[in-house]
Amino acid sequence: MVKIALYPPNSLILADLLERRGHTPLVLQKQIRQKIKDPEIDSPPMNITEEDPIKGLKYAAIEVPSGVRGRMSIIGPLIDEAEAAIVVDNAPYGFGCIGCARTNELSIFLLRNKDIPVLELTYPTNQDETYVMVNKINEFVDSLEQTAGEE
Amino acid sequence: MSQNLTMSPDLGKEDWDPDVITRMIFIGPGAHVSEQEIVSEFHMLGLPLTIKNTCYGSMISGKSEHVYKAIEEIRKLDPNHIFTKERGFAPGDPRRCRGHRFGPREGFHQMEKEYRILGFVSEALENPKDVTVEEKKPVKVDDFKKIMDECLENRE
Amino acid sequence: MVKIALVSCGTEYSGIQKEIEKAANKFGAEIVLPEIDLDYIDESYEKFGFSAQSSSLKLMIARAMAIVEGRSKPDAVFIATCFRCAEAALVRNEVRRFIQNNTRIPVVTYSFTERTKADELFIRMEALATTVTRRSILAREKQEGLTLGLDSGSTTTKAVLMENNKVIGTGWTATKDIIESAKTAAAEAFEGTGYDWDDVDGIGTTGYGRFTMGQEFGAELIQEELSVNAKGAVYLADCQKGEATVLDIGGMDNKVITVNNGIPDNFTMGGICAGASGRFLDMTSRRLDVDITELGPLAVQGDWRKAMLNSYCIVFGIQDLVTTLAAGGSKADVAAAACHSVSEQVYEQQLQEIDIREPLIQVGGTSLISGLVEAVSETLGGIEVIVPEYSQHIGAVGAALLVSGMGHRQDNK
Repeated sequence: MVKIALYPPNSLILADLLERRGHTPLVLQKQIRQKIKDPEIDSPPMNITEEDPIKGLKYAAIEVPSGVRGRMSIIGPLIDEAEAAIVVDNAPYGFGCIGCARTNELSIFLLRNKDIPVLELTYPTNQDETYVMVNKINEFVDSLEQTAGEE
Repeated sequence: MSQNLTMSPDLGKEDWDPDVITRMIFIGPGAHVSEQEIVSEFHMLGLPLTIKNTCYGSMISGKSEHVYKAIEEIRKLDPNHIFTKERGFAPGDPRRCRGHRFGPREGFHQMEKEYRILGFVSEALENPKDVTVEEKKPVKVDDFKKIMDECLENRE
Repeated sequence: MVKIALVSCGTEYSGIQKEIEKAANKFGAEIVLPEIDLDYIDESYEKFGFSAQSSSLKLMIARAMAIVEGRSKPDAVFIATCFRCAEAALVRNEVRRFIQNNTRIPVVTYSFTERTKADELFIRMEALATTVTRRSILAREKQEGLTLGLDSGSTTTKAVLMENNKVIGTGWTATKDIIESAKTAAAEAFEGTGYDWDDVDGIGTTGYGRFTMGQEFGAELIQEELSVNAKGAVYLADCQKGEATVLDIGGMDNKVITVNNGIPDNFTMGGICAGASGRFLDMTSRRLDVDITELGPLAVQGDWRKAMLNSYCIVFGIQDLVTTLAAGGSKADVAAAACHSVSEQVYEQQLQEIDIREPLIQVGGTSLISGLVEAVSETLGGIEVIVPEYSQHIGAVGAALLVSGMGHRQDNK
């Protein structure tokens, strides 16, 4: 079982395709759940406090807007944990945590710069392109399993 | 005072338990099962889960071990048309429920968008085949110039 | 309850959502999100025409469109984006203009960091909430009857007596005991007018001491200084319609307020650097051994480029000016350099956070220093700067104007 980071990290399709192959998608919702289930923290709706953008300093400098650093405090740990990554370019929408283009640029850069296998895809616009995406993900997962088997 | 200002909403004990998780279940176009069948199947499993019908499918929450077990069973009904995703907030959590906030939460739009290609994904899962798609590249400057000249000539 | 629509690209990811909700709550308002769906986001984004890369900004545009098109009917709008994000700052200003040009819904904008303090939000929410609940008062463009405006600031207390749309008396004193200082300033304003406390129709209070004074004198209007100063400035400068910026470089802190049709929609306040305040000019005039009132005309004659000034700091900067004088530099050049320095520092610290709109109305005691007014205009690329008469009494004038029509003290007599 390989821990695979996804970008966008809240994608239904990406997470589902990995999970049905028995792998663990590193998804955002789990990070969010940890935060919102902490009754000690009182900051609706996401329970991100002023401390979180400070934690984001691990990934981006102080001159970077607080919203980028706050988002990185959630996404960053997912990147740190990743053993492989799938990045979808041109994903048409990304709201909430991934609604900020600057955060996305930084996250994708960090994934690419990590010494892990990265699959880059383009968000499909028609049926054929969807085939390509699904096939590539399956092939990628196969190759990960092979490598894991060899070790 | 409306609930959205409630810093710590009045949630059940279960909702604060970090081991209690929520999953959304989507049924893609062309599915062989109905939402109702899925919900009854969940009930039939006899697991201690909270099951909720929604506009896109259903939502279940409970201890992670039970939720994962239920998902595994449900997928068997129609593996290529049932999709599932984690959700951070529990069903009806006032911090993110449109019933209290008026507008939808941000993640909802993401779901709406992805739902639109679920049919294609099901198709690709059901009938795997190799497809090559031509990659689009910008036209060459010379070609661009030629076409531009042609257009200008035609106008005269 | 006042419904404030939040139009932002993600305040919750900066850890300030709680502060926003608390501030709204404090003034009897609640934060809501405009109802929209995916197709509407695409549709409004295309209609609006700003190609933003961040999808949260698309969402922000769609929320603004929903308000303009009446799909969503909030009482007020709070537009907020991260400080230092260029993309969001552009969208924030365009969305603000879009809502103001197409609706009558009051708007307040804000660029925030995770260090946002509660009182910065409180004053914005208070202004927003009172704009909604006191719309008819803020619409007042003419003063009627006999009214007294009292402005109790942290350093000085001002009083203005107005009658039939004219200022007939003014008073000014250093703030010590709030009530005593207010009485002193008011006595000065009444002097020579033939009127006294018993003759006025109504009293309006503003500034830090507004609640204390309001209770003591039974004021008909107790209002935060954002709305009052903005109103007073556009009234005195005759800019009640359209856009304007109000700049108050104070002895201790500075305020910049942007105004649309007489109603404030953004505001910044600074007070961490003495080099960006009137105090710097006060020190300079003492070093030059001229009265503060002479510093302005002196500066206008000088050239700041001829005086060495390597620091904005009130300690090191003043030291530089002394060195210039010792080396035979002229007093006029030193005065000009001091004005230039304060203006540059206000620009560096504050004006960059806000979208400056012409004309700029400069108010407060320092607006009487002509050299500083000239320097501000130059710093901002030659922008039109208006210094209206009574600019040093702006808050008191605003309070006297707004309370007119509210007080009926003479009716029962």
